[in-house]
Amino acid sequence: MQQLDSTNYVDPLDVLRRFIPTPLKAVYRIGSVRVMVQTNDFTLLPALPSEKDTDDLGQASLEWKLVRDPDARGLLETPTFLSAGTLTVVEMGNACLLGLDRERRELLGFLGTDVDPRTYQEFLVPFFCRMTDGTLYEDGEGFSGWNDEPSNA
Amino acid sequence: MALRYTFNRQTLFFRTHFELAGTKGFLATNSWQLHHVAESRPRTAPPGSRAAFEMELIVDPRMNGRAQQEAHFRGLRHLVFASLPPQAFLVYDLLRRQVRGVLSDGAVNDLFWNSLLMPITIGMMGTTMGVAPLHCACLDRGGNGVLVAGISGAGKSTLTAALGQRGFGVVSDEWTYISRRDCTLVAHGLGLPIKLLPDAAQFFPQLRGHGLRKTLNGEIAYEIEPRETMGCEVRDRSRPRWIFFLERREASGCSLTGCQPDYIVDFFEKSVEKLPEELSEAKQTRKEILHQLSKCPAWIVRTGEGPQQTAGAIERFLAEASDATA
Repeated sequence: MQQLDSTNYVDPLDVLRRFIPTPLKAVYRIGSVRVMVQTNDFTLLPALPSEKDTDDLGQASLEWKLVRDPDARGLLETPTFLSAGTLTVVEMGNACLLGLDRERRELLGFLGTDVDPRTYQEFLVPFFCRMTDGTLYEDGEGFSGWNDEPSNA
Repeated sequence: MALRYTFNRQTLFFRTHFELAGTKGFLATNSWQLHHVAESRPRTAPPGSRAAFEMELIVDPRMNGRAQQEAHFRGLRHLVFASLPPQAFLVYDLLRRQVRGVLSDGAVNDLFWNSLLMPITIGMMGTTMGVAPLHCACLDRGGNGVLVAGISGAGKSTLTAALGQRGFGVVSDEWTYISRRDCTLVAHGLGLPIKLLPDAAQFFPQLRGHGLRKTLNGEIAYEIEPRETMGCEVRDRSRPRWIFFLERREASGCSLTGCQPDYIVDFFEKSVEKLPEELSEAKQTRKEILHQLSKCPAWIVRTGEGPQQTAGAIERFLAEASDATA
């Protein structure tokens, strides 16, 4: 699999790495939700069946923007979940930073360079799907639908 | 085990307002100690004014078990993730002007609040609240602000210290936060130490005996309190009146050349953070502040002299300029 060259991304006015280009786009259906994924790394495109109707990429009902971060090293750490109103944030060390804004219908995240494709596809993608289709939810005692054991942690 | 936090204002019993660079913040927390830290900050914002942003911070001793970390920041669209030492994780929602975070006990102190949390919060959220963070120092003389800008390594901090020793009040060293109040610009500082690189010791004997420290951006530097170490007056704000752009040159001597408003706007626009389209309103506000700032008289200072001599030249120049306009 090929990774776009974002390893040389340097912009002193973009210290937060907001503007790393994410030119790769694909559309999927996750449950009842049509999801457009945009990323800078082919290996971050989920190994899920693609949505057949890709005529209008702009009509996705939810968007994942996933950035492979060449400067974030280390494996996934034990997650910390923050939930506030329509926002859910998950931090697994610098290797995985995620924010799901349900009101704006966006899942935004950075994945560190040491998160390997297998861990991503087998552990993180299912987790993102649960976040997306609403089966990861707060039930008063914490978050349901979370497996406490990341495979490479 | 995963740590899970649900932010619910009803369970964050300790609440207070605080001031940050002329804006008013609201804090809700579960920690009386953190509430006390926020309460102890000086307050000059009008008491009835509405909070410009809200912070909900949970202090949890379980965070103490996490590994110590280096500062790490990432942002996409309106969200910014921030991991801060010793063990803290925060999320900035720039559209809703809300900050949520979890802190270890080790982060509940004045040092963390004043040196990390507040500077980072105004740096991340300032533009969304009508405050433009600019990479320059600010000094004050009789209520008139002197902004000192320049590229990294030009000697802004040593010049700031030298001007401070000549009686200019020190408002800020590395970053100055410009807001508008009643159509007037106000330059704010956060009362942070002046950061001086190791070679500054040749100009300031007071530095001998001070230890060098690794700063947040990884530089090794002296961090000195201007009042205690240099005997400088410290101010929390001023009204920008003059701007100096510092440039180093090989030849000895010091020259001042007037510059046009376009130069001011171009210089600062080249050093401010890029903002995403989601924050177009903030971008516009910042542009308006820069436009207003560009009306200040400004000069390029080209110097091959040490900071004390350059400070002397600026002081004489301003005295003559004041005499001429009197």
